[in-house]
Amino acid sequence: MLQKLEEVKKEFESGISSIRSLPDMAQFKADFLGKKGKLNALMSGMRDLAVEEKKAFGSKANEVKQVMLAAIEEQGRKIEVEQINAKLEKNRQDISWTDKITDLGQQAAGLHPITKLTRELEDIFLSMGFDILDGPHIEDEYHNFEALNIPESHPARDMQDTFWFKDAEHLLRTHTSNIQIRGMEQKKPPFKFVGPGKVFRCEALDASHEAAFHQLEGMMVGRDISVQHMIHFLRTLLSEIFKKDINVRLRPGFFPFVEPGFELDYECMLCGGKGCPVCKQVGWVEGLGCGMVHPNVLKAGGVDPNEFNGFAFGMGIDRLTMMRYHIDDVRHFHSGNLQFSEQFKAY
Amino acid sequence: MKISLDWIKDFVELPELSPEEIGTKFTISTCEVEGVEESNAHFEKILIAQIKSIEPHPDADKLNLVTFDVGSGEKRVVCGAPNVAVGLKVPFAPIGTTLPGGFTLEPKKIRGILSEGMLCAEDELGLGDSHEGLLELSEDAPIGKTLADYMNIKRDILLDIDNKSITHRPDLWGHYGMAREFSAAFKNPLRKAFDNKWVEKMQAFYNDKKAPVSIKVEEGTACLGFTGLSVDNVTVKPSPLWMQQRLTACGMRPINNIVDISNYVMLEFGMPNHIYDRDTIKGGQIIVRTNGEESVFITLDEAERKMIASDTVVCDAEAPSGIAGIMGGLSSSVKDETTKVFIEAANWDAADIRHTSTRLGLRTDASQRYEKSLDSCQLEPTVLRILELLKDSCPQAEPVGALVSDALDFKEPLVIDLKIERVNSILGTTLDIPEAVEILESLEYCVKVESNIMKVTVPTFRATKDVEVDADLIEDIGRIYGYDKLSPVPPLNEITAVSLTNAKQLERKIQDFMVYRARALEIYTYPMLGAKLLDQADWNIKNEGLILANPLSPDTDRMRPSLIPGFLEKAALNQSNYSTFRAFEIGRSYLASEKNFSEDRHQLGIMFFDKKESLFMDLLNLVGDLLENLGINARIMKPSGKFENPLVASDWAGRHPNEFLDIQVMGKLAGFITTVHPVVAGKFKIKGNLSIAVLDVTDFKDRPLKDKTKYKPLPKYPGATFDCTVVADNDAPVADVLSSLGKVKLNELVDYKIVDVYSLSDTQKTVTIRAWLQDKDKTLQPETITKAEDMIVSALAKAGYPLKQG
Repeated sequence: MLQKLEEVKKEFESGISSIRSLPDMAQFKADFLGKKGKLNALMSGMRDLAVEEKKAFGSKANEVKQVMLAAIEEQGRKIEVEQINAKLEKNRQDISWTDKITDLGQQAAGLHPITKLTRELEDIFLSMGFDILDGPHIEDEYHNFEALNIPESHPARDMQDTFWFKDAEHLLRTHTSNIQIRGMEQKKPPFKFVGPGKVFRCEALDASHEAAFHQLEGMMVGRDISVQHMIHFLRTLLSEIFKKDINVRLRPGFFPFVEPGFELDYECMLCGGKGCPVCKQVGWVEGLGCGMVHPNVLKAGGVDPNEFNGFAFGMGIDRLTMMRYHIDDVRHFHSGNLQFSEQFKAY
Repeated sequence: MKISLDWIKDFVELPELSPEEIGTKFTISTCEVEGVEESNAHFEKILIAQIKSIEPHPDADKLNLVTFDVGSGEKRVVCGAPNVAVGLKVPFAPIGTTLPGGFTLEPKKIRGILSEGMLCAEDELGLGDSHEGLLELSEDAPIGKTLADYMNIKRDILLDIDNKSITHRPDLWGHYGMAREFSAAFKNPLRKAFDNKWVEKMQAFYNDKKAPVSIKVEEGTACLGFTGLSVDNVTVKPSPLWMQQRLTACGMRPINNIVDISNYVMLEFGMPNHIYDRDTIKGGQIIVRTNGEESVFITLDEAERKMIASDTVVCDAEAPSGIAGIMGGLSSSVKDETTKVFIEAANWDAADIRHTSTRLGLRTDASQRYEKSLDSCQLEPTVLRILELLKDSCPQAEPVGALVSDALDFKEPLVIDLKIERVNSILGTTLDIPEAVEILESLEYCVKVESNIMKVTVPTFRATKDVEVDADLIEDIGRIYGYDKLSPVPPLNEITAVSLTNAKQLERKIQDFMVYRARALEIYTYPMLGAKLLDQADWNIKNEGLILANPLSPDTDRMRPSLIPGFLEKAALNQSNYSTFRAFEIGRSYLASEKNFSEDRHQLGIMFFDKKESLFMDLLNLVGDLLENLGINARIMKPSGKFENPLVASDWAGRHPNEFLDIQVMGKLAGFITTVHPVVAGKFKIKGNLSIAVLDVTDFKDRPLKDKTKYKPLPKYPGATFDCTVVADNDAPVADVLSSLGKVKLNELVDYKIVDVYSLSDTQKTVTIRAWLQDKDKTLQPETITKAEDMIVSALAKAGYPLKQG
């Protein structure tokens, strides 16, 4: 009997792996485990056995039954997965066909590179406690020149080829320094703020000259502020911008709204100050204009120069952006050409 | 401007430093040295050669093989000069010589024959303009000697100064003023070659004779002082080589001794001047007056200049002889036979000169110096220095009478009080009074210390404009002390909280939305444009109140009144590269305003383009989302016709007949969305569908961005949905169908939306609507659901949308 049981089990084992559908499986299960199945047939011969044998066989047969049930369930699951997969196979899609290799027109989305750099600068200044201000593009003579200690006929007006309107009193701001005056008019010292924005110069256009470009101007006004504080601040600023420690040097520079006025150079990052074509062999690169706010400018902004002083600085954003991305032509910035814009994608 | 260190050394010793080191130190202490170049070094290599034999080049018609003696032996070069002749003495530049212009001679075969250097023409040596043939040296020139020795030419170093860095320093527009800076920077004494003793020595040449030229300066001119001196017995001839060399080095062409001296003294003192042929001064009178009328004057460069009534002119008894401070006329220059001259040194008002020179478009060496505000105290020394050099050149020259002058107006000396505490507080230094005084005195300030206050008298040449207040003195002290000695110190800071302004936050939020939600690219378009583009865009606000007086071109002659014309132009540009695109700009438009002249309007412009289909709905949905996200009270609606939209004219041809909506923010029209009408798109050759939206944020950009989110507890009981399909006319807007459910007053009806629209026929469609039912206090009762369904269906039917049958 036990031998027969063993044979049925073998038959079961060799048969189950070839079952491929659920109806076949039901039939197969009935063949072995159904009322008239093979296992039951053996079981019905059990009554002829002695008690001891009956016990042994019963327990063995039950064991075989459990094994069969488990095998049937497992094979059933297998068949189910196979059938689903077959369906999925019918709906297979070409997962190599990505948007990237398809012409969908413009796909990239992103900010203008000047916006990116401006935001970066704004965030650096915010982190150092500076407010971010703004002012009008169309200015009056007073805010662009007079209040900044640039009276009519001052040679500084030579340097700035100004776009004038026909009324000869209004102009396109030639620098963001107008924000200095407008900022001082709003605030009580001590204060510190920057003003990034578009500025205009009547300059013939070429790869490095634009009539509309971008500057950032800032000032810090308080008590007993010295040139040494300014150096510290500007070095920290440039190190933040370039994301590495940077050496700076001051040299005299003329801006009517500061006195003393400076040009701040930073050590050339390409050659580390040894001299190379980028820094014209001098090891230093012109960084920004700065200086101690001229007493006349403080007065124009309603600040008492005997009580307060401070420093101001200004820098070009276009050049910084061009350096960051190795952009070869400043005219791209206002071109509205998406082939340019899409290279600065954020998404 | 070029500065010759050889010239500087006339007045101050320079330390043993490389030219680059001198340049760097000067850059740090005074003004920007853009370049350092060595001049005349080649003369130390160029030898005097005598030609021995000439034979034709075997392979070239116009070339000769020239053999010559250079003392140490014979050499041969290939030479094409027409004047080669046996016996001629000529300059020879051996291999390795670097000629002016930076060209270094290398061993080279010319048409197969090795040339051992070059025989030189005048221009190749930097001695003149002539390239007609080899420079012919005199017969007694010693063979083998260097040209430097033979012609006594000294090696020089030229500093190229950035003119922009000295616009505020009238005193630095001449070598003597520069020498003063070198003296202070390198702490070597200045040789005061033109002190009072020298002035007295030179004034001794004045005599009692009657001055043959008188000067009269009329009221109301630009004149700040006019001086002159007549001199007889001059001989016009070439000036000495050293003077020619210095002038050439500084970029001036030597002409004759008289013109050269005039230029030389301008380069030395910084004061422009003029030497007249005295015979040309009609009536022995010089009159400075305003032009009085419009006229034409022919300047030295033979150009006609249109003069206006207020221009100052210098005249003789009959007619103008020059435009004050800018350029003289043709007639007054010295000629070869001139023996009697009149030296003029005059000073003019900077602003007046600047105006006239800008108007005439005539910027000269003289005018650019006068624009810096020169010091009238330098007038007489200028005349005297010219006299001194004239006498060097023509020993028999002598003045007739004494200096004549008019309108000389010397100002009171400027005295500034300076406290050492202020110096140290601004610079962060620890200087004491004697140290500060030493620096100031090295720059020729006079300092008296009274009870710890420095009373600083500003020298006249610094007091015209540059130095006004103590901050100016502190700058001088700082730069001569050495900015490189100042170390960085962190400032003491008040603690303040800062955040982006509301306007900036709004701008960033919009930008981020446009990038991350709309997947658009940010662009900048030009803030200026021209009438042509406005016409093309059919834009009838021409912004004539905001036209520039000096535009770069007619295409950028005014401020843009709207972002639209630029967008149309850029859409046309980009359509060839993209079948579809989305771009935006946050920029300004500019409106003329009666009250404030102009108004900057802050605007968002969006454009969606697709070659095949209209993206109007995408744009509309996006703008709706944006407005909702900004938390402002806004509405997108059909134009009511009652109010003019300030952002787009009601008759703009670019408005689409169907795809156009106004945007209203806080009760005011502040934007619009449109598909650009094919008529306008066509004028830009735009082939496709372009939809544009403009939103003006000016009036609400400064309001705080509020987070208006209000949390509602989640429903505790299950809700139900109910779909129904109704029939509507094809042209009935689905929003109208849906809004008829607004009439259903039932608390349990919480929302309803369109699920599907299906066209039944040419005239009818079905609209499927889903309603959400919810009772927040209990599970929905079946009778409530039935009631709601009935109410919904009957509301729709009442509005003319019956339930679809079957």
